[in-house]
Amino acid sequence: MTKKRDPLEVIGCAKGYSHEELIKNIHRHSRYSPEIERQIITIPEAILRNSGTQMAKKINKMMREVFTEAYRAKQFTRTEINNRGVLFGIVSLKHNVLDLVLVYFHERWPQCVICLYNEQTRETWIIDEKGAIRQFHQPLKKVVENISRDRRIVPYFEDIQFSGEEIFETLYKSQFIAERENKQYFKKMIPDCCFELPGMKNGVEKRFRNKKINEFL
Amino acid sequence: MPSTLEKIRILGENSKYDICASTASSRTEKYPGLFGDPKKTIGNTVSAGICHSYTPDGRCMSLFKTLYTNKCIYNCKYCFSHSCKHKVSFTPEEYARTFMKLYSMNVVEGVFISSAICGSADQTTEEMLEAIRLLRFKYNFGGYIHFKCLPGVSQSLLKDAISMSDRISINSEASTKEFLSEIAEQKDFYNDIITRQRWLKQIRIKHNEEALKAMNDLKADNKLEEQEKMIKERRSDGYKKFRWDGAPILNCGQTTQFVVGAAEEETDLDLLKRIDWGYRKIDLRRAYFSSFIPIKGTPLGSKQAAPLEREHRLYQSDWLMRIYHFKLKDLEGVVTEEGNLPKGDPKIHLAKEYFKHHKRVNPNEASYQELLRVPGIGPISAKRIINLRTQKFVFKRRQDLRAVGVVLKRADPYILIDGHSQTTLHHFSNEDYMETQIKEFYC
Ligand code: SF4
Repeated sequence: MTKKRDPLEVIGCAKGYSHEELIKNIHRHSRYSPEIERQIITIPEAILRNSGTQMAKKINKMMREVFTEAYRAKQFTRTEINNRGVLFGIVSLKHNVLDLVLVYFHERWPQCVICLYNEQTRETWIIDEKGAIRQFHQPLKKVVENISRDRRIVPYFEDIQFSGEEIFETLYKSQFIAERENKQYFKKMIPDCCFELPGMKNGVEKRFRNKKINEFL
Repeated sequence: MPSTLEKIRILGENSKYDICASTASSRTEKYPGLFGDPKKTIGNTVSAGICHSYTPDGRCMSLFKTLYTNKCIYNCKYCFSHSCKHKVSFTPEEYARTFMKLYSMNVVEGVFISSAICGSADQTTEEMLEAIRLLRFKYNFGGYIHFKCLPGVSQSLLKDAISMSDRISINSEASTKEFLSEIAEQKDFYNDIITRQRWLKQIRIKHNEEALKAMNDLKADNKLEEQEKMIKERRSDGYKKFRWDGAPILNCGQTTQFVVGAAEEETDLDLLKRIDWGYRKIDLRRAYFSSFIPIKGTPLGSKQAAPLEREHRLYQSDWLMRIYHFKLKDLEGVVTEEGNLPKGDPKIHLAKEYFKHHKRVNPNEASYQELLRVPGIGPISAKRIINLRTQKFVFKRRQDLRAVGVVLKRADPYILIDGHSQTTLHHFSNEDYMETQIKEFYC
């Protein structure tokens, strides 16, 4: 290392998060406190990125938890759509990342209103066609009913008003190649904790995976 | 009349050996809305590719992957069509509706549409295109579509398919005419496959040139607002009507797939030669390999399955050619006498071969290509090393290399830091290495 450089300076691998990212997102963590934000400002970025101190390590861990939760919610939230273009589903989020998940669905369904109910906070958040987010202290069903009332029926959403659960299960099973079974890899891709997410609890993957031994005999 | 569910079961099962990866589905920032205003279309393609579920073999289930029909006029020797007694087909509307349902449940990310050949290649392709058309223009689906072209399909239909898909592929199945006729005698290797692959390249290049020229002209004349008008106009004429112009088409390129181990004497080298040709001549984006698995009731039903490890080695070698830009002749140097890749990581074999005639690499001096020769150094870490050197950084410790992402346990035998190399246990089991060390010591 050249003398002037900070010994902990990142020399290549972009580990950790930048100051900017941390300040923008750390408040999303359930154990956030203003003291942590103060710490972020005082710790040099190279130390933060390299988890150079206990505090930096803790901050990076908190950020990872936040983004992992958001990522998993995008991946494993199972949704439904009604004939008036309201897409809805249930999530279970400890951290404050519901807006990230809503935006993700909004980008996919820009003409729909998206409603997501968070089991942890018992709130329903919605994002409308214009991207505005609102929150309600009401159960999902009620919010969906209220929003749907003022919207007209969309023919192509009307076309897909049938149960898809069985279709997915059939498709899922049909893709399985016994010769390639790789439980370890599967476990890595869907860790056990993900089966506790709403929608995954009794989901197809779990049913298929947990076959009783006598079903094979 | 079979139900939709029954069709999914049969056609899903029949398509399970087809391989696809939607993680390659990114569209450039510059052209986000290939199918009109993204605010009005459902679905988008994301750069990282979210997989919504995983099958127990660990593969992601990100695409709705079924055949369109399993009624086939051909009888390829490895194919289910011999053994599957239930012949079914989707209707275009049924296919589109089923996909949209799954997409609304957030269990799939896009479409992978493939088919057997019912009647003729053109007849089946017309129906598949109808299903895709419904998705794009009735259901406004703007997300990822991978269209599998049938061998022998006509050029005009290829153009239609290209205009609506993100990625297109034509299965080569085998590396040469002889091997293909051994396993699928009705398919004409040059006419049905190679010619179509060349067409795909030509159509894409021509369209992109025209589209980009039109867009640049507009930009130069400050007439971007006229673009909207042009889009509307173009939508009303033939093949261009589906697409707002100015966007390059087929942004995920064309791919192909091989059945590994079905043809008796086909070697890894034959396959590598074919993909090398693909990268040079038809702008192949990547190749997929599917190890042959015998299906009962087919002419190859009693043949032994090809080891999955062979498929793995081919993927590794393909990666070296595609991402690391290793030359085919490098790989030719490490294949066995039979023409197959040896056991173990091809990069290690390449390194052993290379460092027989070259000195160990000094990260403070080596070129990018030399760095890439070292196992444990990939394109990203090699770029980081070069980048740091331009900032006058000197690598003095192994830890410095680790910090840029080098995997030391693999790289150690091949690098020199400060004139020294780290001796590892690997050295003691490597006879060649010990011999040179002893020679160096006594000379
Ligand atoms: S063309 Fe060959 S591989 Fe394809 S479905 Fe028909 S028989 Fe099977």
